[in-house]
Amino acid sequence: MSETAMNTNDSNTNDPSEIVAASDLRRRYGEGEAAIDALDGVSVSFPKGRFAAIMGPSGSGKSTLMHNLAGLDRPTSGTVTVDGVELTGLDDKRLTQLRRDRIGFIFQTFNLLPVLSAEENILLPLSIAGRKPDQEWLDRLIDTIGIRDRLSHRPAEMSGGQQQRVAVARALVSRPAVVFADEPTGNLDSKSSGDVLALLRQAVDEFDQTVVMVTHDAHAAAFADRLLVLADGRIMHDRESASTEEALDLMKSVG
Amino acid sequence: MLALVLRGFLQRKLRVLLTAIAIALGVALTAGTYILTDTINNSFAGIFKTADKNSSVVITPTESLGSNVTAETSPITDAMLERVRQVPGVAKAAGSIFTTGTFLNLHGKRLTTTNAPAFVGSPEPEPFKSFFPVQGRFAATADEVALDQATVERAHLKLGDQIEIAAKAPVKRYTLVGILKFASGQSFGGAGTALLTLAEARRITGEQGRFDQLDVAAASGVSPDQLRDRIRAVLPRTVTVRTGAQQAAKETSNLEENLGFLRTFLLVFAYVALFVGAFIIFNTFSITVAQRTREFGLLRTLGASRRQILRSVIFEGILLGVTGSVLGLLAGIGIAPALDQLFKAFGADLPDSGTVLEARTIVVSLLAGTIVTLLAGLAPALRATRVPPIAALREGVEIPPRAPLTRGRYAVPILLGLVVLRLVISIVQGDGAGTIAIIVAIGLVIMYVRLRQRSRGRHYRVVPALARVVGTLVSWRGITGRLARENAIRQPGRTMVTAAALMIGLALVTFVAVLADGTKASIDKAVSRSFAGDLIVENSQSGGEQGIPTLVAPALRRVPGVASVTPIAFTVGRPHGSSENASITAIEPASFQRAYRIEWKQGSAATLLGLDETGAIATKGYAEKHHLKVGQRVTLLTPSEKHVTLTIRGIATDEARLLANFTITLPLARTQFGVREDALDFVSYTPGVSNAQVQPAVDRLLAASFPQAKSRTAAQFKQDQANQIDTLLTLIYVLLALSVIVSLFGIVNTLILSIYERTRELGMMRAIGTSRKQVRQMIRYESIITALIGGVLGIVVGVLGGVILGLVLSGSGFVLSIPFGTLAILLLVSALAGVIAAQAPARRAARLDMLQALASE
Repeated sequence: MSETAMNTNDSNTNDPSEIVAASDLRRRYGEGEAAIDALDGVSVSFPKGRFAAIMGPSGSGKSTLMHNLAGLDRPTSGTVTVDGVELTGLDDKRLTQLRRDRIGFIFQTFNLLPVLSAEENILLPLSIAGRKPDQEWLDRLIDTIGIRDRLSHRPAEMSGGQQQRVAVARALVSRPAVVFADEPTGNLDSKSSGDVLALLRQAVDEFDQTVVMVTHDAHAAAFADRLLVLADGRIMHDRESASTEEALDLMKSVG
Repeated sequence: MLALVLRGFLQRKLRVLLTAIAIALGVALTAGTYILTDTINNSFAGIFKTADKNSSVVITPTESLGSNVTAETSPITDAMLERVRQVPGVAKAAGSIFTTGTFLNLHGKRLTTTNAPAFVGSPEPEPFKSFFPVQGRFAATADEVALDQATVERAHLKLGDQIEIAAKAPVKRYTLVGILKFASGQSFGGAGTALLTLAEARRITGEQGRFDQLDVAAASGVSPDQLRDRIRAVLPRTVTVRTGAQQAAKETSNLEENLGFLRTFLLVFAYVALFVGAFIIFNTFSITVAQRTREFGLLRTLGASRRQILRSVIFEGILLGVTGSVLGLLAGIGIAPALDQLFKAFGADLPDSGTVLEARTIVVSLLAGTIVTLLAGLAPALRATRVPPIAALREGVEIPPRAPLTRGRYAVPILLGLVVLRLVISIVQGDGAGTIAIIVAIGLVIMYVRLRQRSRGRHYRVVPALARVVGTLVSWRGITGRLARENAIRQPGRTMVTAAALMIGLALVTFVAVLADGTKASIDKAVSRSFAGDLIVENSQSGGEQGIPTLVAPALRRVPGVASVTPIAFTVGRPHGSSENASITAIEPASFQRAYRIEWKQGSAATLLGLDETGAIATKGYAEKHHLKVGQRVTLLTPSEKHVTLTIRGIATDEARLLANFTITLPLARTQFGVREDALDFVSYTPGVSNAQVQPAVDRLLAASFPQAKSRTAAQFKQDQANQIDTLLTLIYVLLALSVIVSLFGIVNTLILSIYERTRELGMMRAIGTSRKQVRQMIRYESIITALIGGVLGIVVGVLGGVILGLVLSGSGFVLSIPFGTLAILLLVSALAGVIAAQAPARRAARLDMLQALASE
């Protein structure tokens, strides 16, 4: 693929098992005196088949980090590699294509298209790419999220939890290299939150999916294999899975 | 509160501008129309004033049949001039000739523009002189001519060149000895003036011993009024005596009457554009009120009363209306010369010196734009007042509907349809601007009622249905087509109103196209059915204003292969006790019968052959309307101020409409009605000769002696008529295009507002890998679907309207014909309109900042 061919730099983060890697990432907003470094030299990598949670207080840079890792924003300096492709040099067209084919997204506000049915929403990334779905994979996904009886419903006819599960399926349908989830439980009650988090866990364990989740919910972070805590644009903690209580303590230590 | 509105207004500059343009275009055409017609009026008034400046008294033929009917034979004679000269107080009196003719170069080409008149006259002596030579001199011999400067320049002539002039005598060649300028320097537009010697002017216009006008100068100490009264006392009623100032005023008012038609014609299109603009204002306000639900809720929470909310939205409407009107007025000043050019392009070159901006133009333009905006924005404003305070806190709060007027659910759309139909009829009939304004106002009120009904349920089933059909055209393009279709259906009311704006313009275009096609078919059929001759000879200047010399018919009879020629003339007469003129066709019965098939309701060929100077044939429609029966007598006042009593001898149904209200004999027309030229000659060939043998010989004769005339076979005649209709059609298309452009702004506006509402959706789509190109495509398809809905509805409504009118007119020989090719092109045009309207919104949507979009509510 051309993306692979383009990846000619000799970054030391270019380990094939590392699906996403960032090196000395900086993102500055504004200019001069008023400039703010939302990311202040972040180097981090995410190996394949792992579930990572990123926490941090408001303004810590956790969302900015995710946006830069996912190719939604461009860093001021530093590099990002996704699935072996260096993002910094890509033009909008290639970057869009990369997001389409290699990255899955889950948003806090679900962001389903209200005019499409659940099934059409799940298939949206493939439709955009003009590809046919792998029926077997689709069936498995639908069974996993458990909304087979609601496939023809539109988002307005579904509960928040159901909508977010559809969104999870949409993120997984193209078998992306990595799924980025931005506060996926932020708009859900605790029961639905649990369902969605279990689903993400299942995606990692059963489908060998890589998931990076930004959250401010310590309970959600406890579902992950790894916890990163950001403050002031820097990584303050980076450790293996934490319990809810441990996560809360870590947050307190930086807040 | 109002300061808040003002600030919001300034923040939404683009939207305000787009919406204001919707109203500005209609206002621009309104203002442009007034400015153009005022300018033309003013120019003519200046010309008339200059021409009559030094005349204390002016004597002209009496026009008792209205200002448009002038006796072809002037009642002013040499003897009359002599009598005037003997009136005490007359310092000087002189007569002149000033009538229409044709100027040509030596190759037979006309020197004046297509439809502009060419005047042939004699110079007036001092002090009445209004033309002065800027080069050379006036004509001194019968072979010399002085021409106005504009014509000389247009034709690239110089002193010593030769030109031809044709009037009632055979064409003659003259040497150019002078180039003339009008006293006050005004342009005559495309018209031309050729001054010959008096004797020569009289000879070629056939007015030997007569004048078209007498000018009188008063001796010192005699007022124009006194002199007028003295002269009046000694002259017969066949002439009218006015003071110079009265004459100029009279001529100006006659002209204003004639230009009134032009003004109304243009204003109709301006009102249509304003009407379309009203849809856009209505839609934009509805959408913005919906989008600002939270803002209104917040204001209500902070203690703003309903009345204050209403006032703020209305204030915004006024601001918008005034902005649009002012923009429109400014554009109107620019549009006026463009309109003038448009008319020039279609052959109407009128004098236009300077730009006349009257206070009335400013007032009418500003009021029209502001009132239309206010009316259209009223319903959405009322809706805004119903936003509950809770809307500030929660998303997706529905504005509670007012008790719906469900009783008139079907009545209202039908009423609206009737209003539109009435509007169309008014336009066809050329009703006054006031009438049309009232109809449009009624339409707006009904539209407002319609909105109040709309609050409950989905009445726009037609939108999803149409969108589904149209949508299949684009859905093969995959997800972008599919989403475009769904998005178009999402807010059916909004899509409907947006499409309706385009629908109006296209419905009118379609309607006019159907009517024009039917008219062509009708002419075809009528000519085929009624014309039995081989050639039609008439003046080559279209419009039928100018006739051909009576000498043409006898000359044609001498062409080998011509068996018979029948001259036909048109005139008018006023039936006793009526205030309207009856149209009259004058014929030579014996030869006419050979070239024309009359269908009789009562009567026969014998009736025609037996027609003498005491008889007339009436046409069926006129006879029925005026309860005329065979044997009944009618007394007519003729343009020559004579009373003629005629007996109705027969009643004809004449779908070709050559026969007017009455048909009389030519000799009667010549002696009693003052007819001195023919309108047409029908030529019939000797059996067995071919057109190729005769028509070239006829054309040679015409070119040599009567170059203002032209021969046509029936087929050529039909083609010429069709071409004339097409020219008019093109003019109407150009003017209706403005309404279509206005509706394009509506599509742009709706798209931009819809995109704004869907910002987060678009952000998500971009995030998960939709390319900019796909986003653009999606918006473009949505626009095309909306435009095609408008196009399909417009064509359906237009065809329906045309068919209904066609059925109504079928009694009088109208043949319905649907121009399918044109309809297909219109459909393409509406799709193209969609593409054009989508350009800016699509680019905007594709450039969306993804992160901001995702973060937006």
